[in-house]
Amino acid sequence: MKQEMKTRTVLATGAALALCLTFGALPTEARVGLAPQQQAARRGVSPRYMRAIATFDSRVRDYVAMREGLEEKMPTLAKDSTPEQIEAHKTAFQGAVRAARNGAKRGDIFTPVFAEYIRSIIRSAYRGRELQELRQTVMEAETKGVALRVNYPYPESNELVEMPPALLLKLPQLPKQVKYRFVGRNMLLVDRENGLIIDYMLKALP
Amino acid sequence: MKRIFACLMTIAVLSAGAFVNNASGQNLPSANSRASAGAAAAAPLKLSLPLKDGSVRFLVIGDTGTGSEKQHQLADVMTRYREIFPYEFVLMMGDNMYGGEKAQDFKNKFENVYKRLHDDKVKFYATLGNHDESNQRFYELFNMNGEEYYRFKKGNIAFYSLNSNYMDQKQIKWLEEQLAKDDSEWKIAFFHHPPYSSGGKHGSSLGLREIVEPIFLKYGVNAVFAGHEHFYERLKPQKGIYYFISGAGGKLRSGDVKDNSPLTEKAFDKDMSFMLLEIAGDELHFQVISRTAETVDSGVLTKQKRQSAASAK
Repeated sequence: MKQEMKTRTVLATGAALALCLTFGALPTEARVGLAPQQQAARRGVSPRYMRAIATFDSRVRDYVAMREGLEEKMPTLAKDSTPEQIEAHKTAFQGAVRAARNGAKRGDIFTPVFAEYIRSIIRSAYRGRELQELRQTVMEAETKGVALRVNYPYPESNELVEMPPALLLKLPQLPKQVKYRFVGRNMLLVDRENGLIIDYMLKALP
Repeated sequence: MKRIFACLMTIAVLSAGAFVNNASGQNLPSANSRASAGAAAAAPLKLSLPLKDGSVRFLVIGDTGTGSEKQHQLADVMTRYREIFPYEFVLMMGDNMYGGEKAQDFKNKFENVYKRLHDDKVKFYATLGNHDESNQRFYELFNMNGEEYYRFKKGNIAFYSLNSNYMDQKQIKWLEEQLAKDDSEWKIAFFHHPPYSSGGKHGSSLGLREIVEPIFLKYGVNAVFAGHEHFYERLKPQKGIYYFISGAGGKLRSGDVKDNSPLTEKAFDKDMSFMLLEIAGDELHFQVISRTAETVDSGVLTKQKRQSAASAK
């Protein structure tokens, strides 16, 4: 386990250094590949928040490893799939992940301190008119009726709120399998393939 | 009084007969309404595109995924236009599937609507809207190659389909990398949310514009197509880039374009519409067609002279 952690740290640090060199032309916030802790360190985040970010990152990675393991056992969804294959894959994938995460509850990944950190990011990044615009973007979306339940699917008949790009650049980065989403003022973590709500936090938006 | 009641009942029955519901509750056109669609589609077609040898010809449509009668009517006009303007492919601006994405929805809201175009091997290239699940990227007829954002080339034109719902660091990096090495004559981006819009309900996606516009300028993107707004709008060129909105392929937000918007060059929000495009050399020719086969906008734009970061190397 220790060896695995060490390897992960070395890989993350190496990747971060390489990407810093490669994408030096990008704005600081847009430099890709930095682990969430490294991003936070650059912003002078407090040790308490740093620990919460590390926990969040680790739990997200654990989730991704688990769902990748389950998906590997399923028939591969090709890039030229039929609607029937897409629907069957999604249904089976949802069932497998839901069974594996039976008992998952709110706060397992969005820990209270991490949720506090997210709120602080949004509070400091969005004030006055910008906050109004962000609220407008989020609130105008047709997400009424989306039940906030961990390990249940985000209803496919509901709209997915456009995530403000500037905010995405400020939030801790996620692996491609997982996405941040807003439902009202609340922030969700949603699996991009099976559509399950992995976790959520209340009142992310002030 | 009885006569009035009988009249009202007759009207109600006839109106209800215009649609039939299938098992999934989807409105499907009845024989009567298909007849009215046929009448609309029978209107004479006019073409203002040059049909030059070797040109790249395509169609742009957005916010289609309803499966409604009117979407079928517009599809009829699209199909008829192919007889006089043989376009090779279609760009879809997102919201490809409203209100559910079961296998039957793919058929009701897409496959059946554009069946004759599929039969003719016209390729559709989709982008994801705010009503679309990521899994659409695996659907063979959307040609997304399993990716939420992707690039393809036709002739000397590079097309970039972006996921404007989720413009994260990975996508920005990919876009910059691709554009930096792209020496195509034309670079065209298409995605769902419009960086510039005169829409009353949504308006310009300012956050998205803040991120993508500097990249487009740096690397010489020539034209941008978007949807989300359920109308057609040709924007005045912004910092030299041509912007279009074509988001009335399945839904219409009638009267939503703000009067006297300083952004608007031309707009149409009275009916549903699609765009026909032909790129020949340095010229981009366009013609916008309504559901009743009327031409509501047309013209030609010349490729910008500015130098991109890629061509400057």
